[in-house]
Amino acid sequence: MTDTVAARPVDPFDAHALNAAEGLDPVDPAFRHVLRISALFNMLPIAIGATLLDMFVVREVGGPYGLLSVLAWLFALFAIIAFPARRAQRWGFKIGEGQLRVARGWLFRTDTIVPFVRVQHIDVGQGPIERWFGLSHLVVHTSGTHNSTVTLPGLRADLAAAMREEIRRHIQTDFA
Amino acid sequence: MTGSAAARPADAAPQSAEWQRLHPATLALAVVRLGPRTLNFLPALAAIGIAGKWVYVLPAFGAFLLISLVTAWIAWARFRFLVGANEIVIESGILSRQHRTIPFDRIQDVSIEQGLIARALGIAKVGFETGAGGDKKDEARLDAIGLDAAQALRTTIRAHRGDAVPAAAEPLGREGDAKTKTPATEDRVLFVMSPGRLLVAGLFNFSLAALAVVAAGMQLFDDLLPFDFNIFNPLDWFDLAERYGFEQWIVAHRWVAGVGALLSLLFIGFASGVLMMVLANWDFRLTREPRALRRTRGLTTRTDVALPVRRVQAAILVTGWLKKRFDWHELRLQSLASDGEKEKDHQVVPFGHLYEIDPVLAEIAIHRPDASQPWEHSHRIIAAGGLFGALSAAAGGAIAMMLGQPLGGLGIAAAALIAAASLFSARFHSWTDLPGMVAIRRGWLKPKTTLLPYASVQSIDLKTDFILRPLGLATLVFGVPGGSSLGSHEIPAIPLAAAQALRARILAAGTRA
Repeated sequence: MTDTVAARPVDPFDAHALNAAEGLDPVDPAFRHVLRISALFNMLPIAIGATLLDMFVVREVGGPYGLLSVLAWLFALFAIIAFPARRAQRWGFKIGEGQLRVARGWLFRTDTIVPFVRVQHIDVGQGPIERWFGLSHLVVHTSGTHNSTVTLPGLRADLAAAMREEIRRHIQTDFA
Repeated sequence: MTGSAAARPADAAPQSAEWQRLHPATLALAVVRLGPRTLNFLPALAAIGIAGKWVYVLPAFGAFLLISLVTAWIAWARFRFLVGANEIVIESGILSRQHRTIPFDRIQDVSIEQGLIARALGIAKVGFETGAGGDKKDEARLDAIGLDAAQALRTTIRAHRGDAVPAAAEPLGREGDAKTKTPATEDRVLFVMSPGRLLVAGLFNFSLAALAVVAAGMQLFDDLLPFDFNIFNPLDWFDLAERYGFEQWIVAHRWVAGVGALLSLLFIGFASGVLMMVLANWDFRLTREPRALRRTRGLTTRTDVALPVRRVQAAILVTGWLKKRFDWHELRLQSLASDGEKEKDHQVVPFGHLYEIDPVLAEIAIHRPDASQPWEHSHRIIAAGGLFGALSAAAGGAIAMMLGQPLGGLGIAAAALIAAASLFSARFHSWTDLPGMVAIRRGWLKPKTTLLPYASVQSIDLKTDFILRPLGLATLVFGVPGGSSLGSHEIPAIPLAAAQALRARILAAGTRA
C-alpha cells in the first residue's frame, strides 16, 4: 500500500538496491526479527481489543458483526509478517571518513550525517529482544536541538562496541 | 563582600573564603510572595467558615502565615554559599541537603536580574549560566544577594575566566579580527534604544492582544468609574449613538459610531504596543565586553545578561512586511544558553536599522549577504502542505454545508485564504551560500533571515519523501545547538544535487575545524 509510488528511481522491493544506490551498509538481517517481535507485542493487544469491541459492542447494537475483528487481525498479521522485513531493509548506515551516516525509511526517508567531532557522548544499548538475537543499538548524542540523539539499531553487539570505540577516539570537546 | 575580595588573588587558599548567606532582604521578598499564595488558602478558610467554625478562621490564617514565614526563614537559614578561589559552592535544602560546586571555568556567565521590589530593596537575583542543557529550573541561582555583591561576584568570575582562557585556542576568524581592532579590556556601546526609538518601535509593535486584558479590566472596574462611558470600549460608542437620540442622524451617519469604535481599537493597539516595548526595553544597552556581548534592559524588571561571543551559534534577522519598508529590523542570536525562562534566543537588537545591526554582526564575525548576492529559491512544491490543509478545510466546509449547516461556507472561505497564503508565501523561501556560512530566508508577513555559520552545524538531515523524490528534490535540516523560538533551521525542497553538494561543503568545513 505504501510502496506503490510512481516514478521511483530505485526499486523499493529490492532488498539491497536502496542502500546500495546510496552507498550505505545494511543493518544486520536479524533486526527484522526484533522489529517483528516488537510489532507482535504492539499489534496483539490492539487486535484483541478490536475483537472484544466487536463481540460486546458491535454485536449488541446490531452492526456488521465480525467485520472489525477480521480487519484488525488481517492488519495485525500484515504488520507482523510483511512489514518488519521491509522496514529493516530500509535502515542503512555508513561509518568512516570521520562521520556517521544513518538513513531510514522509504516513504519519508531521512538521511542523517553526524561528524564524529560533533558527538557529545555515545550510548550502546541492548533491549531484551535485541539481546535474544545478539543485537545492540547505538545512540549518538549531539548538542544540536534538532537531532540531539541519533539512533542506529540492528547492529551486531560486537560491531556496535567497535563503532563506539571508533567514534570515541574522535570525540573532542570544544567547551572551554 | 568579603568572600569575593578574598578570592580575587588566584593563589588564595579556599579556607580564607567564608560561607555567606543570602541578603536578609530576601526574607522581605518572601513576605511579598506570600501575598499571591494566600489566595490559594482562601478557599480553605471559606470552607472552615461555611462549616460554621468562624472562631477558627483567624487562628488558621495566623497559623498559615506563621508556617509560611518560618519555612521561608528556615530555607533562608539553611541556604549558604561560598565563593572560593576557583569555584562557587552552594548548599541548600531544608531536609534533603544539596551541595553543589560550580568551577568558575564552567560558568559561561553570570546574569543579574532585578524585579521592582528587588530594586527598591537593592538586591538582585544572580543566575549562573553553565551551558549545561536541560531544565532551566536546574540552573544554579542566588535569590537574592545585594546588588553590589552580585556585581562584585560577576567581576570575580569574569576576571578568573579572563586569566584562564586565553591559553585555549580561539576559533579562527570568529573573534580574531574583532580583537585586534580594539583593546580587549575596553567595553564599547554597540546599540542603545533612545526613548524616541522606543516610541517608534512601540508603534510598530501594534497589538490587539492587550484588548482582551483591557476589556476584562473594564468589566471589573466598570462600576467604579464615575461616569458610565469608557472611550476604550467600542460598544460604548454604539451606546452613545443610541442614547442621545440622534437616531435619524445616526442611521444616516452610522460611520460616526464605526469611526469611534475603530479609533478606540487603534488607540488600544498602539498604546499597548508602546507600553510593552517600553516595559521590556527601557534603557536598552548592548555593549561589547572582552568576551561577551552584554545587554541591560527593562523598566520594572531590569535584566543584565551577557552572551559569550564564542557561544553564538546563529544570527536571525526578523522584520515585518511593513517594518521592512522603513528598514527596521530585529536581531536575535541563537546561543547555547537560553535567554531567561521564556525565550530561547537572545534579542540583541530589538529594533534597528541594518547599518546599526551590521556592526553587531561584525562582533560575532557574521556578515550579512549584500544586495548583489544571488538567492536560490525553494521549489514551489512546499506550498503542498498548506494546499492540503486548505483542501481538508474546504472538504469539511462542503460536508457541513451539505448537512445543512450554512457556517460551512466559512470553512470554504478559509480554505481559499489558506491556499492563497501558502502559494504566495512559498515564493519567499530561498537560500544562499556565503563563505563559511549559509543564509536562509523565509516568510512574507514576517520575513526571517537566518545566518548559520558552517561551524555551528552539529548534524545534517537530508530528507526526501514520496512527493519530493519524483521531483528530484530534498530538504536539508540542520542540527544547531541552542533552541530558537523561530523553529528549526531547514532549507526545504531544493534540488537533490544542490542539497548533497551543500551538505558535503558544510561537513568538510566542520571536520576541518
